[in-house]
Amino acid sequence: MKNWLKISLLLSFLIFSIAGMAQKQRFPKPEFGNGYTQPSPITPEPRILALEYFDVVILLVVISLASWLAIRKRSRKYLLWLSMFTLLYFGFYRDGCICAIGSIQNVALTIFDPGYAISISTLLFFLIPLVFTLYFGRTFCAAACPLGAVQDLLIVKPISLPEWLRKTLGLLPYLYLTLAILFAATGTDFIICRYDPFVGIFRMDAEFHMVVLGAAFLLMGMFVARPYCRFLCPYGVLLNWMSRFSKYHLAITPAACIQCKLCSDSCPFDAINFPTDEKQAKKTTWGVNRFLIYAILIPVWILIGGFAGSMSHTWLSKANPTVYLAELLITHPEVNNDQKNLDVQAFLGSGKSMEMLVKEATVIREKFHTGGWIAGGFMGLMIGLTLLGQVVYRKNADYQPFKGDCFSCGRCIPYCPVKSEILGNTGK
Amino acid sequence: MKNKGIVIFLIVLAVVIVGVIAIDFNSTKPDQQPANPYEYNIDSFTRVDTALIKYRESRNLKINLEEPVGIALHENRLFVVGDQKLQIIEPTGRLVQEVNLDQKPTCVYVSDKNIFIGYRKSLLLLNREGVKIADWNSFADSTVITSIAEQSGIVFVADAGKRIVRKFNIEGNPMGEIEGKSGNDQIHGFIIPSPYFALAFNPSGELWVVNPGKHTLENYTVDGKLRTWWEATSIKIEGFSGCCNPAHFAFLPDGSFVTSEKGVVRIKTYKPSGEFANVVATPSKFKVEGHAPDLAVDDQGTIYALDLDKKMIRLFVKK
Repeated sequence: MKNWLKISLLLSFLIFSIAGMAQKQRFPKPEFGNGYTQPSPITPEPRILALEYFDVVILLVVISLASWLAIRKRSRKYLLWLSMFTLLYFGFYRDGCICAIGSIQNVALTIFDPGYAISISTLLFFLIPLVFTLYFGRTFCAAACPLGAVQDLLIVKPISLPEWLRKTLGLLPYLYLTLAILFAATGTDFIICRYDPFVGIFRMDAEFHMVVLGAAFLLMGMFVARPYCRFLCPYGVLLNWMSRFSKYHLAITPAACIQCKLCSDSCPFDAINFPTDEKQAKKTTWGVNRFLIYAILIPVWILIGGFAGSMSHTWLSKANPTVYLAELLITHPEVNNDQKNLDVQAFLGSGKSMEMLVKEATVIREKFHTGGWIAGGFMGLMIGLTLLGQVVYRKNADYQPFKGDCFSCGRCIPYCPVKSEILGNTGK
Repeated sequence: MKNKGIVIFLIVLAVVIVGVIAIDFNSTKPDQQPANPYEYNIDSFTRVDTALIKYRESRNLKINLEEPVGIALHENRLFVVGDQKLQIIEPTGRLVQEVNLDQKPTCVYVSDKNIFIGYRKSLLLLNREGVKIADWNSFADSTVITSIAEQSGIVFVADAGKRIVRKFNIEGNPMGEIEGKSGNDQIHGFIIPSPYFALAFNPSGELWVVNPGKHTLENYTVDGKLRTWWEATSIKIEGFSGCCNPAHFAFLPDGSFVTSEKGVVRIKTYKPSGEFANVVATPSKFKVEGHAPDLAVDDQGTIYALDLDKKMIRLFVKK
């Protein structure tokens, strides 16, 4: 066994050495001796393939450990330490890239653009947290996501938001997700990466406005716990769906809930379902009729959303550089002479004709039109389902985490006075 | 209201977040881009310490060619090629003879008996009266001839397209190739990213070839064996920079090198050892990012620079 280990290490060393030698400069490096500072690119330097897979292994280890700590070990302390590691490794060391959240866009682009091939490691980063969530809940959010970790550490005085506000803001991730997929699928932009508020902090070289954005989220997170995760994270939408069906999930109590209410204020994310007040439930006017009306309204919401999405396709498509450039050159032909306009000069230098540019822009705009219908329809569906959710009566007997919203952070665990030899409660 | 201060603070932060995203989203459109962050300002490298400038421009000769490309000097006559012409000019500027050519030339070389005109992938041999003697057409399709020199009946042709130096006898029969690779891996083969590949014999009869991608000048035996070389990679005045420099070179009577560069266009001299000597012409004398001037030198050490952009021959003499 030891010999195998030695051989593996030797082979790894040789592979890395050969890769290093292959990168020997054929041309002399240019000299930048007059104070020139090379700007940082949007994405970090690519890593060699072996290290990309190493990142996947690290993710697997971290998320497995997080699941074990949340469900079996039930240790908030160790989850906190694990999230610290995640913050250091995936955040500061890996510069916040590669990340499961941004991988949504890679997946979308690879589905809609036959010319784009997603890497195996990116695909794994997309799939692994989803699969784990399906079994163990959002343990990825608990300790394997650097964006969650940085916010989690700065929760100072969390306040509980009113339900109407939570439900309303809770629609934002759906909107962000649909826009991210629409923009990625049309080859327009990777907006999740572009507006990642924390990546600039991880790389410590963000532009000023991104520092402001990151600082604003962190300051907000002192009082509204993990605001990005709860009210913006598009990957959280998928995790939320998966987690609702999770087979095993963190439970507040390791045995039977004694309804002591000690945990009722323990969750800064308002993700604990309280036992249903039977008397109050009987008083409400919620009924079958209201449910039916809201259910019938769902197709109407879808139509309204789809129509709104399609109507906004012209405006949305202007975010695409090709569309914008075509419009710019048509409406302001004088920019052809603007030597400082790099995009215009790059187009003129490409040898592409104006007709070709307009044709490309038309195709992209048509994609936005179709995508606008789908994205708007999806948003309409989500609004309809959210409203429907308000009239659905769910009976809760105990204090339980709401699987969809619970980050499995384990904050509630120490509040429970119940001790049991039988760990690993499924939370049912 | 409970937590009123916190709520106000949160509202302000929410406005900041929305504002930052909205402003950024609208600020990166093609007509609203900030200044190019990757722009590399090379202005400082175009300024040269005047103490290093040891030459002055004594005069210049306007030439009647739309696209001059090459110059040679032999026995007090200047031979300039361009358009589809060869012009033979006296140092006073008087046009002695004009020869029409079949194709656009790329370079010219003059020996005691012959005039060699390089085309893109063939070579025209004329006698000193400008009468055609032969066409050498045995080149590959990807050939790009950029420089010619002759010594003891062997003609050396720099082929930038194939990245080799071809050898011929005076009848045009191939005699071999020089690939520019040394056995001990001290120097790489010729790296020719663009069609600038010059060669010349120094006053001692030694063949020197530019390896522009390596910023080296390499001395080969007639058999193609690497004898020695020197390298000067630097964007500072002492060296060569960019993908492929020096673009052209010639020899002073004492064996010193005269080099011309493209990109930051400038002419400099180097001692026979390869050590930087002085500046002949600074970038300010040439068009910004213009062509590298082709060079010729007479017996008195006067440097003749063919300015391709200003369409003139510029004479530089030592101060």
